[in-house]
Amino acid sequence: MSIGGRRAQLEGLAFVAPFLLLYAVILIYPLVAGVVISFHRADLFGARTFVGLENYGRLIGDPVFHQALINTFKLTILIVPPLTAITLVLALALNKRSRSAAFFRGLFFSSSVLSVTIVTLIWRFILTPDAGLVAEVLEAVGREPIPFLSDPDLTIPALAVTTVWWSLGLPMMLFLAGLQQIPEEIYEAAALDRAGRWTTFWRVTLPSLRRTMLLVIMLQTAAQLQLFGQAQLLTAGGPSGASRPVVLLIYEMSFARWELGYATAAAEVLFMLVLTVTLIQYMTASRRWEG
Amino acid sequence: MSLGAWIGVGIGAAIMAAPLLWTLLLSLKANAELMRDSGAAFSAPYTLENYRSILQGSSLVQWLLNSVIVSGGTTLGVLTLCSLAGYAFARLEFPFRRTLFAFVLLGLAIPEQAVILPQHQLFAQLGLHNSYPGLILPGLVGPFGVFFMTQYFKAIPKELDEAAMLDGASRFTLFWKVLLPLTLPAQATLGVFTFLASWNSYWWPLISATRSEMFTLTVGLASAQMNYAQTSGLGFLMAQAVFASLPILIVYIIFQKQIVRAMAGASVR
Amino acid sequence: MIRGALLAFAALSAAACAPEDRRTEIDVQRFFGECGAVYGRSTDISKAEGECGIVTTLFNGFRARNRDLKVDVNVVAWPGYAQLAAQIAAGDPPDLVTMHQGVMSDYASRGLLEPMEAILAQAGIRPEKFTAAARRGVTKNGRIYGLPWDTVGGLFHINTKLFEQAGLMRGGKPVLPSSAEELLAHARKFKQATGKPYLIQSQVNDPATHVRNFYTYMLAQDAVMFPDQDHIRLRTPEAKRVVELLRQLNEERLSSRNQDNPAAIASFINGEGGVFPTGTWMIGAFEQDAQTPGRPLYQGYAVLPYPRLWGRQAGFVDGHAWVMPKRERTPDQRAAIARLLRFMAQHNFDWTRTGHLPAFEAVVNSAAFKALPHRQDIAPLAQTGSPLPGYVRRQGPIEGIVGEELGAAVSGQKPVDRALADAERRVNELLSYMP
Repeated sequence: MSIGGRRAQLEGLAFVAPFLLLYAVILIYPLVAGVVISFHRADLFGARTFVGLENYGRLIGDPVFHQALINTFKLTILIVPPLTAITLVLALALNKRSRSAAFFRGLFFSSSVLSVTIVTLIWRFILTPDAGLVAEVLEAVGREPIPFLSDPDLTIPALAVTTVWWSLGLPMMLFLAGLQQIPEEIYEAAALDRAGRWTTFWRVTLPSLRRTMLLVIMLQTAAQLQLFGQAQLLTAGGPSGASRPVVLLIYEMSFARWELGYATAAAEVLFMLVLTVTLIQYMTASRRWEG
Repeated sequence: MSLGAWIGVGIGAAIMAAPLLWTLLLSLKANAELMRDSGAAFSAPYTLENYRSILQGSSLVQWLLNSVIVSGGTTLGVLTLCSLAGYAFARLEFPFRRTLFAFVLLGLAIPEQAVILPQHQLFAQLGLHNSYPGLILPGLVGPFGVFFMTQYFKAIPKELDEAAMLDGASRFTLFWKVLLPLTLPAQATLGVFTFLASWNSYWWPLISATRSEMFTLTVGLASAQMNYAQTSGLGFLMAQAVFASLPILIVYIIFQKQIVRAMAGASVR
Repeated sequence: MIRGALLAFAALSAAACAPEDRRTEIDVQRFFGECGAVYGRSTDISKAEGECGIVTTLFNGFRARNRDLKVDVNVVAWPGYAQLAAQIAAGDPPDLVTMHQGVMSDYASRGLLEPMEAILAQAGIRPEKFTAAARRGVTKNGRIYGLPWDTVGGLFHINTKLFEQAGLMRGGKPVLPSSAEELLAHARKFKQATGKPYLIQSQVNDPATHVRNFYTYMLAQDAVMFPDQDHIRLRTPEAKRVVELLRQLNEERLSSRNQDNPAAIASFINGEGGVFPTGTWMIGAFEQDAQTPGRPLYQGYAVLPYPRLWGRQAGFVDGHAWVMPKRERTPDQRAAIARLLRFMAQHNFDWTRTGHLPAFEAVVNSAAFKALPHRQDIAPLAQTGSPLPGYVRRQGPIEGIVGEELGAAVSGQKPVDRALADAERRVNELLSYMP
């Protein structure tokens, strides 16, 4: 890192400048503009009345917002750990050079190419209690169909299953990559020590994957805290808001109710939340590795 | 792999494949028949009528072309910007390097719905709606690509730089001629994921491209649906899904090898 | 594919180089779907079927008769309000847009729409000729903000074969109840005779279902739901009565549950229940099944307005209208819009083949309309149908909140009183925070 003096320093800035410039204008400026709007009663068409922290105060007392926050956490907890575990297992099983492994990798990746509109359409037909696939199977064995999309206790699990099915591709690929990075010699050494398969997995494979695991967990946590399309299209947040995540609420606040100020306030809260949660994950992980 | 593992993968694959297969079957059925019973998908007669309707759609070629231009443009832009930035963050020393990197990662926490309206107003002031730049630019600022490329550049041995610099190469030549070719697998991976995200993006094109000649495929196909398309045009809807997904599936199959190899080099050290 | 792309590219550049078009240009934006594949060139309006087919053919017909005008039609994904709001915010709205009459209140009260008395006069259209329901739908705070195009609302779609089986037919006509008690009695009798639910209802992912029932019977009782533009009143005996009836029907399983809209439709056409309360727009599809031998609905379908259970005969309705967002327009463009409006009004009958009710009294009384199946039975809705008061803003979100809370009450998740109180509080809060 010691090469070059002042010139090299400027060169470094020149390399990052194009991205940073666009990033600042297209993402950060709107974010800041949103913070300003959140201190106003505002609609979509430029009406603005300054109200200070009123919108934030409203959020604190709004049971619908609380419910949405809880739903968002539930969804994240129901999605991220299973998704991480399943994709890890898949990567372990499919980390082979054979043709069949390549075929299965393609298959497990294929759901990621579908857009959310189609994913929800497919899962509606699987889950609907009236004529869905699950209902047909249950009926065949003489059981009552399960109202996945209308029972308040089942809608969030239904959304979670749909999301896991849809999101396998990227984490699986990341784990596969992580596995290929582990040097053969470590396994050979383990074999010499007569370590069993489980021991090898716990002592060698898993520790070597810890950074990949952290990446997967952080990316997925950030993504699932912002879950939106599935809830909007599959359950519309219902019944009675039982499956409405925060981003769906933000969408309703801005486009249906035109309460732009209130919506941006909720969005800022969500932003801080995602930031905090992922930072905590990162710091906890780093401290443990260093300690 | 042991027998147990194969059985596990097999069951998983069945769960994975069943909905996809079903989508395909539905797309081959007449709409009227499905309205009475969506279970009809499992038995003949099958028809290509839905696909014929799609291909006859007057604007479809235009929308497809728009999607290719927008997704292709976004992918090229992301690869360029993120390679440049990733290289500098990984291998150069400059003021505020760590701060700026953290500043970029901050972006991962920004929900699209939090910025989409101010963004829309900004683009209106710049007169960029209903244009290709208007559709491409918001896709260029995702922080994931910078993070990903930074990790990959970090993994390349430092000695390469020193050797090249001793030969008198400029910083840019070093980047362009020596390091960039080594990152090709990473480019392929990031490229596929960017293309995928851009191809399926819905909200921004929906409110930015409001003239049908600028619709992307996702928005165009959505506009073709009626409000109760789910009931009256299920087969057609599924045919659209198959039709819109095929191009990306093909891209994935072509690049599959590079993707896995790439991640092996990149992922996070 | 590459060749196709190149061809399209060539076509594009050719279009860009074409001589300048000096015709007066207007931008129209509509929903109802895109079906250029089937109707792209057709101008024979009488042969077109369905909302999309008819509206596409109408525009083709207008273009063919008005070659001096350039009419750009932009089809947006249903319902298109996110795009419209964004367009208005960006200062570039279209000249003429399809809008639900309930939604018009928001845009009109915010000063985003042009009052249309003058341009309607220019087009030779007299608002006195609108049906009562249509006139109520487009009038907001005393001004007319749109050309009404239809009235849409809830109807009782009936399986008369099952009604026969349950002894609920008299003189070839279905017998509908005239009080809440009678409704329950009919429903129990129906269930005993057929083993099937009396009502088929889409209760999942569909707040409109409960809201349609609820508003209809609130209107019937002349209950004042919106005393002024900032308040809703739901903690009333009238409201409680209606919700408790709906809840009772669910509790005794006299209504289907756990169905969303597609499931409910499939269930009705497969003969799995007596009455499906849903919109005017389903008449065409159901009638088609009623004419197909071998289908459960074959020669066994009737459709009627909601029965009177309390107070007077009423129906909660909405409708589609053509509206003009505020923007600069030249006199030539105004004249062009007036011609288009006139053409649309003249072809109002063609639109009613979709199942929607006419917006003009003359069409309701025309022989052609009466000759369409079932239309005489449902025509009264064009008189009795009523929207929410024109001053009520955010009707869509209010429907969402009320539907959500009613859903909780009807399914038994919440006591009726609490659901109504929660709905009232949430709607009042929404209305109190207008910027």
